[in-house]
Amino acid sequence: MRATGLSACLLLGVSLVLGPPAAGGGQAESPPPAGAPGLRYEIWIELDPDGKMLLGKEEIIWTNPTQDAVPDMLLHLYWNAFKNEASVYMRENAAETGLLRGGSPEDGEWGWIDVTDIRLADGSDLRPALTFVTPDGPETEGDQTVARILFPAPVQPGESVHLRLEFKSKIPRTVARSGYYRDSFFIGQWYPKPGVYEEGKGWNCHAYHLNSEFFADFADFVVHITVPTGFVLGSSGKAAETRTDQAAGTTTTTYRQAMVHDFAWTASPRYLKIERDFVADREVTAKEYDEAAALLGLPLEEVRLPDVKMTLLIAPEHKGQIERHFRALRAAIKFYGLWYGPYPYETVTMVDPPFRTGSGGMEYPTLFTAGTSVLPSRNVLSPEGVIVHEFGHGYWYGLVASNEFEAAWLDEGFNTYSTGRVLAAAYGPGALSARFKGWPLDWFLRLPKIFDFETDRVAAINVVRYDPVTAWSWKFYDRMSYGANVYMRAATLLNTLERLLGEPAWPRIMRTYATRYRFRHPTKADFAAVVNEIAGRDMTWFFDELFEGTRSFDYGVASVASVKVPVQRRGVFDAGGAREEWTTEKVEAFEAAAAEAGDGPGRYRTTVVLRRYGEARLGGGDRVEAVVRFEDGTVETRTWDGQGRWARLEFVKPARAVSAQIDPRGVWLIDEDLANNSRRVGGLRRNTVKLMTQLLFAVQCVLHFFGSWS
Amino acid sequence: MGVIKAILAGMGTTIRKARILVILYVVNLVFAVIAAVPLLALVRADLEHSFLGASVRPLDPMWLGEAVLEHQEALPAIAASLAVFGLFYLALHVFLYGGIVGRLLDREGPATLPAFAGDCGRYVWRFARLFAIALVFYVLTLGVVMGLVSALFRPLSESAVTEWLPFILSNLHLLIALLLLSIVHMVVDYTRIAVVADAERKVLKALRHALTFLKKRFWRAWAIYLLIVLGTIVGAVVFYTVLGLLGGPGVAPLAAGLVWMQAYILFRIWIRTLFVAAQAEFYRSHPY
Repeated sequence: MRATGLSACLLLGVSLVLGPPAAGGGQAESPPPAGAPGLRYEIWIELDPDGKMLLGKEEIIWTNPTQDAVPDMLLHLYWNAFKNEASVYMRENAAETGLLRGGSPEDGEWGWIDVTDIRLADGSDLRPALTFVTPDGPETEGDQTVARILFPAPVQPGESVHLRLEFKSKIPRTVARSGYYRDSFFIGQWYPKPGVYEEGKGWNCHAYHLNSEFFADFADFVVHITVPTGFVLGSSGKAAETRTDQAAGTTTTTYRQAMVHDFAWTASPRYLKIERDFVADREVTAKEYDEAAALLGLPLEEVRLPDVKMTLLIAPEHKGQIERHFRALRAAIKFYGLWYGPYPYETVTMVDPPFRTGSGGMEYPTLFTAGTSVLPSRNVLSPEGVIVHEFGHGYWYGLVASNEFEAAWLDEGFNTYSTGRVLAAAYGPGALSARFKGWPLDWFLRLPKIFDFETDRVAAINVVRYDPVTAWSWKFYDRMSYGANVYMRAATLLNTLERLLGEPAWPRIMRTYATRYRFRHPTKADFAAVVNEIAGRDMTWFFDELFEGTRSFDYGVASVASVKVPVQRRGVFDAGGAREEWTTEKVEAFEAAAAEAGDGPGRYRTTVVLRRYGEARLGGGDRVEAVVRFEDGTVETRTWDGQGRWARLEFVKPARAVSAQIDPRGVWLIDEDLANNSRRVGGLRRNTVKLMTQLLFAVQCVLHFFGSWS
Repeated sequence: MGVIKAILAGMGTTIRKARILVILYVVNLVFAVIAAVPLLALVRADLEHSFLGASVRPLDPMWLGEAVLEHQEALPAIAASLAVFGLFYLALHVFLYGGIVGRLLDREGPATLPAFAGDCGRYVWRFARLFAIALVFYVLTLGVVMGLVSALFRPLSESAVTEWLPFILSNLHLLIALLLLSIVHMVVDYTRIAVVADAERKVLKALRHALTFLKKRFWRAWAIYLLIVLGTIVGAVVFYTVLGLLGGPGVAPLAAGLVWMQAYILFRIWIRTLFVAAQAEFYRSHPY
């Protein structure tokens, strides 16, 4: 019955949604209408919850947007990453953990996808020509996550190809945010998906790597999902219609969504489904619109936000956190919309992922997963942080669709930066996250509150030793370097750029980049070009030195010292044809007489030495500021181009210096050591003493603990 | 003797023998100062001349993260030296327990340093042997028994429908571990007391005395132990609550915080002697 139902859906769907195949039934489809993406999907998928299987049929219409004649197509078959230990994913996982079976599923829990049939619309069978390829080099041999199909004839520029596929998949037991636990399913990266064809280069279609996410072209999707009646379904896109097959005990829901580059869904009988509206006029005040328009230099109409239908699928045990989820989502829709352009889709679905499906904290177009626990923290911004972050990927990945394989920082770094800004604007700083045996420690202790940019910076400053931010995802030294570089270091560099370029340049840069590259696949060069254009200056050095480079950035104050300038110097002097020796005794007598005569407090020579401790240097005319403060309250400010290893500043003033500080405005957030950015004359400060007493107390407690085991 | 009466009597003893607390406190402070020197030196080098020194907070993530990364090569050495110091301190406490138990059980005797040191020397080898036996019990408790408990809980946890069950089981596991450890601790305490009170030279015999004693009145003995643990928890809550109120600018709150922290260390040391004193009172009220 199920297979019959699926076939009926398939036939009906093809004729109604995609229309009849082109005359001749071959590859040459009519190109899509202007403005529509060159890729269209229609997928019929049925979930077999008992067998943990997916049975699917898929129609793909791809239009060649380039001037190349394209002889083939590369398809992602991501779930084959979980098929065996020969996959790139599993081999990289084993290498990362240092274990032979590191991260491998248990017996019987493997996942895979088989393309059982693939034909052109005229019925030409392409399955025999389907081969697995290893686009990332021969070392990935054995991997089956990329398949190549060869067309009978190349697809000419502007022509379309219409493919009909059948596939079946074994759902893995929770790996890489896809899979099942008991009767709950999260289904991501599940259907055969073409890579991105790049003119002159061919298909950009990488294997499924451990430290990487995804890349695909914008498309129009129609997806018919069949699940057992009683399952609560959540999906990318907007539900168009639902039909129940009483005999089969299944319900089929059709979802449609234009201009997205991926499609994910989830099903579980345990979900609670709650729907709310983001009503823009209620969330954003007229003043906020005015301020945003003025800051961005845009007409008011361009910053106005549309309403959005919000859906939350949440586990019953998290019911008490529904309002927290919606509040965070509303803040995200509001601020991302005001800063980076209105959210263009009608719906967004927020999923509190089913227990042990391991699918929390992941983004898909118009759907994302969050994640919380039964005992939520009070002051920690969780689940708020993950909600804002994953919704934000709707912009940085969803709309500005950079290549996550080759430039993960362009979405993760931008989004980590943006998440921090939204959380700061909506909530202020959040407490450090700490738990013990599931208990949030902020229930019992006052944990310090911090902004995201602070923790990002701490995580970011050291990883420069391993890789540049711009490395390809799977070519990072290890997972830690990948994560800290593409998320935190990239975010810290963007925060540094923000501080350096200031308002209104920076918000306009971000807005311009976000809107100019909406529905496109920008690269670092595209972003750098926007920065240079809007800032009106060449910031290439910043990208070369800090994004591409692996040198640490650390400027500091090495020393500050003031010495009295002698009123009279010792030695032999020629004056007026005579020669006179000023002896020590004579100088002392002279100085005593001058002091007695009240000739002022004397003068001091202050020497401040600035140092470039790191290897990275400033460039492009940017300079670092240094401020020296004196006992009489005066302040001297200098700037340094930071090219040499050190610079000496000298001041002769009637007062001694009390402190010197480099980068007093905190522009260079990427600076590796903030402690050496200032140097004051004088001893320990109260807070340092307090810290030391607390350290001593901590050691006393540790020793007492050791003693208790005697 | 009843539970409360034993604890109250123990309190009386510890107060009468307050000099023991002073000795133990001084030992703790001296060792802590020595152990903390490298850490304090790092803090001083980093912050003495920096503006950060004026704004740094105890758990300042900016400074803490930066310092950890900056000194990451030195950190393993510091951690190792702290661990070695801790183990040495543990060994020292095996020695000091002779003085603690000896003086607390000598009702009429003085709690002077010579008398304390004399007891330390008198019982050191017996308590060292007891420590070796206790180690076996700790390993059995944490390794074998808790391993069995884990094996019992695992299938339940793995088949859970929501996170509640794993959460409850995980906490239950911890609770069971703590309760079992408290029993081992209690047995070791009573054995020490038996060594001194019964002038028993054979540790295994003393252990048998303790076990026989506990067999007859386990629940009351455990109640004494757990009530003192409860007191410790209450004390810790009071300590951290008051410490949180001692913020503010100026030297006075800083000094008050320092004094309060040291008072807490003294409280913890007092609790340790109270365990011995209360259990000794209970033991002596029911002669073997």
